[in-house]
Amino acid sequence: MSVTTRPMTSEELAALASGREADAARETVISMLDAGVTYPNGKIALSEVDVTIPRGDFVFLVGASGAGKTTFIKLLIREVQPTAGRVVVAGRDLARLRRREVPRLRRRIGIVFQDFRLLPAKTVFENVAFALEVTGASGAEIRRRVPMLLNLVGLHQHGDHLPTQLSGGEQQRVAIARALVHDPAILIADEPTGNLDPVTSWEIIQLLIQINVLGTTVLMATHNQEIVNAMRRRVLALEDGKLVRDEPEAAYEREY
Amino acid sequence: MGFLRFTGFSVIRAWQGFWRNAMMSLATTATVVLMLVLLSGLYIVITGLNSGLSFIESKVGITAQLVGKPDQADLTPAQLNTLIAYTRGLPGVKAVDYVSPDEAMQRLKEVYQSRGQTLDLGNDPKNRITIYASIEIQLTDPNMGESVATALHERSEVAQITTKQDELDKLVGVINLVRTVGLIAIALVGLTVLFMIVNTIRIAVYSRSGEIEIMRLVGASDSFIRWPFILEGILCGLIGALVAIGLVAVVWDPIQPVMYDVFKLPTVVGARFLATLSALLLAVGLAVGAIGSWISVRSYLAA
Repeated sequence: MSVTTRPMTSEELAALASGREADAARETVISMLDAGVTYPNGKIALSEVDVTIPRGDFVFLVGASGAGKTTFIKLLIREVQPTAGRVVVAGRDLARLRRREVPRLRRRIGIVFQDFRLLPAKTVFENVAFALEVTGASGAEIRRRVPMLLNLVGLHQHGDHLPTQLSGGEQQRVAIARALVHDPAILIADEPTGNLDPVTSWEIIQLLIQINVLGTTVLMATHNQEIVNAMRRRVLALEDGKLVRDEPEAAYEREY
Repeated sequence: MGFLRFTGFSVIRAWQGFWRNAMMSLATTATVVLMLVLLSGLYIVITGLNSGLSFIESKVGITAQLVGKPDQADLTPAQLNTLIAYTRGLPGVKAVDYVSPDEAMQRLKEVYQSRGQTLDLGNDPKNRITIYASIEIQLTDPNMGESVATALHERSEVAQITTKQDELDKLVGVINLVRTVGLIAIALVGLTVLFMIVNTIRIAVYSRSGEIEIMRLVGASDSFIRWPFILEGILCGLIGALVAIGLVAVVWDPIQPVMYDVFKLPTVVGARFLATLSALLLAVGLAVGAIGSWISVRSYLAA
């Protein structure tokens, strides 16, 4: 874990004041130490993964299908448990995390998928509000936060629309707004542009960058070479369940 | 505040869930009603029989058939008086009455009359029935019957002793049979109801699988995910119980005379009985709803 000596930003101070010391004081939001996942059927999905992701990073997770990207993400949101090593996410040791503490962890992590996973019968506003409602937020909080988030993703005029009335890119924006309702430390995007055309894909990437600039760590699993190569951000590459590359300002494929 | 919001959220979602698959929910509620109506019937019948039992217990008496030829009072008045005096002196005896053969015959005719029949034996001697003179003894305490019967048995004037114990035993047997058969029937219906509720909630869980997945991902706690479904099952039980209570209340007045005719007793009448029955129906309805949905949530909403 790296320790910084720079003064805290006003945002971190605010976080401290609001009782989020753990996140403010620790710069590392994701840390895996020799982590591994072996499924009950004996399949080794991940092994010997060592990685540290500091707060505010923008990281691409690449690798062929079946290389372990999905398990990596499931591990972070504790949908699977590490069978070896140590995994610490947002200050929580996942091996020691009790079942009923999992929801609290998940509020520190936002996640979006290739297929958006919006509720078709609910409007845009209701889709975002739902995430607050089911975690016990008050009506006042919902009325305050949802317009703010829709504004952030540029959909403040589409609150009354149903998901089916929106384009793919707009639907993904709704999903991103929903992922941000709890002001998470980490935003995980699992192939967020997989269903989108190139122009729309770039719009989504721009939005993710904007969110990253605002202080949220972004981890994006992708097959989109063009985006990874153009962005020149940190790249984690998985192959057969092993982390084979962890490079800053890197390309989709090894360049040496 | 948080708890209120949680409760509000769960109740609203349970209500929505109930009407979302209305056919299934209403069918399940109907089985709850069926079960509770059966239970009411059993409860009413058992209560009626029980009060019949206590009535007989309170009136329990002994009949001592006296020696002699049929239709004749063989004992001299003096002998009879001695016997009656002796009997009156026994502990636990409240009253002693002499019933002559003529009187006994008259009573028998009255019994037939009350059934709307006539006892016509004609003049053929073959049709004659034998009726003996007897004394009837009322007891102050039903438990003293045994000792009084034993004492009378040793008297030479007494030919045979009958007590109401046989009737009591018969009634107890009938009550036990009704109770056993009724409870088995209700248990079988109850199992069906439970199965219906488990199934209804299972379908509700499946129809909300998308929402449940989102809830998990955004960090909703287990109680937010589970309680709406448990409440939905409880709602089936609650509505079923209210309908059943309504039905019982509606038929309550018309069945009163029938109850009186069957059990000869007005003891089951009363608001308190109705209140007790309503509480029972409500408790059983809620319990079966809660148990069924709990089973379903445990089985189909694996964490």
